[in-house]
Amino acid sequence: MAGIYLHIPFCKHKCTYCDFCSFPNRMDVAEAYMACLIKEIEMRGKELEGRTFDTVYFGGGTPSVVDPKYIYAAMKKVEDCFSLSRRPEITIEINPGTVSEQKIALYKRAGINRFSIGLQTAIDGQLEELGRIHTVRDYLYCTSLLKGENFSADVMLGIKNQTKEDVRKTIEIAAGSGAKHISMYALTPEDGTPIYTDYLNGELPDGDEVAELYEYGRSLLAEKGFMRYEVSNFCKKGFESRHNLNYWKRGEYVGLGVSASSFFAGRRLLNTLDLDEYMKCILSGFYPVIDSEEVGKRDAKFEFLMLGLRTVYGVSAAEYQKAFGTDWREDFAAAYQKTKHYLLEEGDVTRIKDEYLYVQNAILSEYAE
Amino acid sequence: MAKANKFLRNFCIIAHIDHGKSTIADRIMELTGQVSRRDMEEQLLDSMDIERERGITIKLTPVRMFYTALDGNEYEFNLIDTPGHVDFTYEVSRSLAACEGALVVVDATQGVEAQTLANVYLALENNLELVPVINKIDLQSARVEETKQEIEEVIGLDAAEAPCVSAKEGTNIRDILEAVVKLVPPPEGDPEAPLKALIFDSYYDNYKGVILFVRIKDGTVKVGDTIKTFLSERKYDVTEVGAFAPRLQPKSVLAAGEVGYIAASIKSIEDVEVGDTVTCVSRPAAEPLPGYKKVQPVVFCGIYPLDGSKFLDLKEAILKLKLNDAALTFEPDNSVALGFGFRCGFLGLLHMEIVQERIEREFNLDIITTAPSVSYLVHKTDGECFYVDNPSHLPPPTDIEYMEEPIVKAEVYTPPEYVGAIMELCQDKRGVFKDMTYLDARRVRLEYRLPLNEIVYDFFDELKSRTKGYASFDYELAGYEKSKLVKLDILLNGEACDALSTIVHEDHAYKRGRMLAENLKEAIPRQLFEIPIQAAVGGKIIARETVKAVRKDVLAKCYGGDITRKKKLLEKQKEGKKRMRQVGMVEVPSEVFMQILKTNKDK
Repeated sequence: MAGIYLHIPFCKHKCTYCDFCSFPNRMDVAEAYMACLIKEIEMRGKELEGRTFDTVYFGGGTPSVVDPKYIYAAMKKVEDCFSLSRRPEITIEINPGTVSEQKIALYKRAGINRFSIGLQTAIDGQLEELGRIHTVRDYLYCTSLLKGENFSADVMLGIKNQTKEDVRKTIEIAAGSGAKHISMYALTPEDGTPIYTDYLNGELPDGDEVAELYEYGRSLLAEKGFMRYEVSNFCKKGFESRHNLNYWKRGEYVGLGVSASSFFAGRRLLNTLDLDEYMKCILSGFYPVIDSEEVGKRDAKFEFLMLGLRTVYGVSAAEYQKAFGTDWREDFAAAYQKTKHYLLEEGDVTRIKDEYLYVQNAILSEYAE
Repeated sequence: MAKANKFLRNFCIIAHIDHGKSTIADRIMELTGQVSRRDMEEQLLDSMDIERERGITIKLTPVRMFYTALDGNEYEFNLIDTPGHVDFTYEVSRSLAACEGALVVVDATQGVEAQTLANVYLALENNLELVPVINKIDLQSARVEETKQEIEEVIGLDAAEAPCVSAKEGTNIRDILEAVVKLVPPPEGDPEAPLKALIFDSYYDNYKGVILFVRIKDGTVKVGDTIKTFLSERKYDVTEVGAFAPRLQPKSVLAAGEVGYIAASIKSIEDVEVGDTVTCVSRPAAEPLPGYKKVQPVVFCGIYPLDGSKFLDLKEAILKLKLNDAALTFEPDNSVALGFGFRCGFLGLLHMEIVQERIEREFNLDIITTAPSVSYLVHKTDGECFYVDNPSHLPPPTDIEYMEEPIVKAEVYTPPEYVGAIMELCQDKRGVFKDMTYLDARRVRLEYRLPLNEIVYDFFDELKSRTKGYASFDYELAGYEKSKLVKLDILLNGEACDALSTIVHEDHAYKRGRMLAENLKEAIPRQLFEIPIQAAVGGKIIARETVKAVRKDVLAKCYGGDITRKKKLLEKQKEGKKRMRQVGMVEVPSEVFMQILKTNKDK
């Protein structure tokens, strides 16, 4: 398994919590950027000839803000330059405030078969507070265009003044709209974002309150048939995000576009975060990589556990043995002894007990160097 | 009998802290040309960083000078600069034994202070000739005549001829030197007799081994001599002898009466003890010099390496410090919570602080220290009786008939407006009022008897905060008194943590237990499980707090771009854990062990 990630760094308006690589005032260079992205697809495609890719993911920014013909063109280029498996999962992130029937139609023609919709909350006042450009109505319109499709909705926890009732309403709207997958994640106030000020002033729910909302949301989702398969991800049976599962299985992926990161041939690469520099590099025929690090054996082993333990599938001793030739319990004997109490062991598979999944940093940090 | 050099003068300076001792030493060195103006730095003899930063003298420092007196003769002076603080009295007493005279420096604006008096008594015990010196005459508030009178009345010294100087401005410094020539007698001792040299200090040099600071009482010592001490059988060949200039300056020989150093490639630190006598193997002295009274440590604490694997480094550091700080005592200790370390004894809180700081600075070691404690006298029901300074060594309550605790005589000097606040504080600290005197309109002297364990607890901090820093405080030990003492234990998650146990007065146990539990609740980070914190006396729980379990501790998202970041975050978390100590299942930050006993000012 391997994945392809394409980054579309544009949006109409930056959300107050957003620290992703995204440029609200640079739509003028969208065409040039997409041309560069296509060039990078060609470059990497040649380099990675022989590998088969199972998933493609358009993320952002807001991929749905650019003219869909560019997405179509990029997707066609991916098909030309990479060898995809027989039934690849092809996802695009969309903002409910940017869709139209034609757009969706063109996405489908491009082969896109999964949609990830940024709902965040079903309370309009909160959407505004977050700087989202859409309303709950926009979301419902968007999902009406996706009837019968495989789509996911994002739900955010830890918004200012958010109550359990708000979470219930949001989950009900998300589930009721036909989503097969729901990502429910906690808002992370990052330094440099407008919302960080709210955080510093104690206006956001604290960790305990978020944990309370999360626990509530989790049980509500379970009632509605959405099972947790990773800390922040829930789905109806069989609708896991294959693209994301690949990250957690420490599979290879190639990231294309500004700020994208890649992992293949034992190395982690990071593209420049500067939009102009990205384009200059590509136009000069160079990879825009600013960081390239070979992952050492110990690091690799740690990553394997750190990522695997995020999911309810945990880590398989056999898979670990196959990857590294050793027993993970021996490699991390001290940490294992110390954290055993929090782990559930079922034959070959070890996972974090349900009740500790949300406090896993304390457990995982024992395994760090 | 041959005579020692009659043009030799060995003397030291005693004074209260801040009365200008080190500055006078600086001026004397300047005047004798020992150091040029160009090389002169403030407090030249205070060579340790800590001394310069704090403006105090911790270590005695000897220096040799030559002075041509008004009588036309050239004299050799050995001056030993000594600390003023009560905690370093032991340093003072050692320098006194190497001298024939002492300058008693009194600040003309402050008059005679308790500490000066204490050191004067020490000097008299050592049969030293005392030379009063009145300093700071340049200040507006100087009261020269009153000070002279005070010296005569309080100390009983004739101060009519006392040099009146300003060390700061260099006024009348020559008067001091003339007084030394005239009043301090030359040393006695027979250069032909078998060698007897008193070790009054030492330190470890990486190239030369242990450097012995000696006062030659009888005989001579030179390079090539084979020497031994009285406490050890080991023999050493002298590789270097010399004087203090103030840096080591080699000489061909040291003879009776002189102060200097001996290097003999002594590598084993344990062989040297300050107060011991050096003699020559070929013609040994029959018996050693009287040496020093052994000092009894007053304040104790545990010192452990932050990184458990550095125990041997800590041992080496303490051994080397001990060479240079004879008052420090230590023995190996083993704590369940903190691992292997040492139980150390100090002459006071300042001494303790200085030692802790020197270990960290001079040996570059991170250490954990436990809260200071004092030494209690335990009387068991079976009649056995012994001292206990480590709360975890206290026998079970049923085996104890009664206990005694050390009491001090404390003197507090304060402007009158703080008298009420100080009395209240002393009351809180189980003090017994003894006396109150108005020294003048601006200064009151309060005398209390106070239990030492209240002083090592937080008395200084409280005194400072309640008097805005205006009050000063001095104390001396005044014996032991029977007292109702109990051991206060702290249980974390149901397990007793030995390093957090303290011995307290029964009446304070509840309050202290409450406060400890509350402070611990703030200091211990939330963990994966709920942690009950209990304070207990004799198995009975008297206070309880709870650290709630952490409920959210996860990165919301971990996709392709987040992996490196998440890895770094977890590594950082792991690094933080290395500064924690494991008590049962609970991780406790290492600062807690020292800080936890400080009162929470906000409460």
